[in-house]
Amino acid sequence: MIRHHPAPETLLAHVAGTLAPGQALTAAVHVQGCAHCQAQTRRLEAAGGALLEDVVPEPLAADAFAAVMARLDEPAPPPPPKPRQADLRLPPGLVLPAALRGAAIGRWLWMGLGLRYSRVTLPWAPKENVMLLRVEGGRRVLRHSHGGAELTQVLWGGFHDITGAYGPGDLQEADETIEHQPLADPEGCLCLAALEGGLRLPWISRLMGK
Amino acid sequence: MNGLNPHPRLAHGLANTAPVSTLDAPPPDAAALAALVLRVSQTRDRTAYAALFKHFAPRVKAYLRRAGLEGAEAEEVTQDVMLSLWRKAGGFDPAIASAATWIFAIARNARIDAARKRRGLPAAPEPEEEDHTPSAETLTLTLEREALVRTALGALSAEQQQIMRLSFFSETPHAAIADTLNLPLGTVKSRIRLGLARLRAALEDKA
Repeated sequence: MIRHHPAPETLLAHVAGTLAPGQALTAAVHVQGCAHCQAQTRRLEAAGGALLEDVVPEPLAADAFAAVMARLDEPAPPPPPKPRQADLRLPPGLVLPAALRGAAIGRWLWMGLGLRYSRVTLPWAPKENVMLLRVEGGRRVLRHSHGGAELTQVLWGGFHDITGAYGPGDLQEADETIEHQPLADPEGCLCLAALEGGLRLPWISRLMGK
Repeated sequence: MNGLNPHPRLAHGLANTAPVSTLDAPPPDAAALAALVLRVSQTRDRTAYAALFKHFAPRVKAYLRRAGLEGAEAEEVTQDVMLSLWRKAGGFDPAIASAATWIFAIARNARIDAARKRRGLPAAPEPEEEDHTPSAETLTLTLEREALVRTALGALSAEQQQIMRLSFFSETPHAAIADTLNLPLGTVKSRIRLGLARLRAALEDKA
């Protein structure tokens, strides 16, 4: 049962294509696993289709049609090379979401007691702050706030903080107004997180700032 | 104001009501457009493709221009989008989207990739496409559902329509829309929420 979804305006920005790439990836992972948000996405895309249909058309160059017709038989460009993905020894039964297929995934790195992260690099947006976070059962993520929006999608296990309890498929949306210290459920937690502007910790200004 | 059309024809039904000149055939309606995409997908029909090009290419170009692409780039990306339409027609699923909605998504992705290309970055990979077995019945349901969305959009207040159009038809996230309209970000977000809630309420009433 998925209880936490992206905010309506976040999903709209995702469908309109204006969400930052890391957040768009996280939102895409959520939507893939959430029938409710899939239906909402279809409605919003239909709104995009209606707006496209109603736009005042702009004529193309005179030779545009001939130019495209001449290209129809060209072979499609090859797919991009598969990025390197470390073997993360995921919990049994967990498969990384399809939306992560094009991303490079680093090995686990130590971040704190019972806390590891793996850097997720998007070839199409390499400066985005995206990571997989693995928190052992009963451990807390350091108390932190954010330079901007933080989207966290639970892939396995769960956590809770002042804003509620989050399980598999839930998405937490936090912004610079929230300071929180998530506590992992007893079995632990594995999340995908996209951060805008880095984490802000009380004792260092930035852990993973750009 | 970014050349936005102040009189959107959102309230119109799916059947195109534009005046028909004696020279041109009437523009195809949503069912006809979906049938054209299916002909391209199933038999690589170039006549059907030409009809789609005529209908959609000028709309895609207008969308890209509004989303901030300059003349030559808008032209080039429009041609790429139309080529994608030919290549990706097999991924069109009339149970999920109308032709316009499907092409909107292709054009949106092309706009994002064009911005990346300008910065020397590669395009994001395509989502995996599945094989579809389209049926006439599901197409009808899709078109009914999308007609409701369209009617609900047309019933929004002028303010909410403006925000929806800016949300879809600009390159900028909501913070920049707030700047454009000289409104606080919170106001933009709450108008978006209100608009979306009204859209949803309208759709759920009819469901």
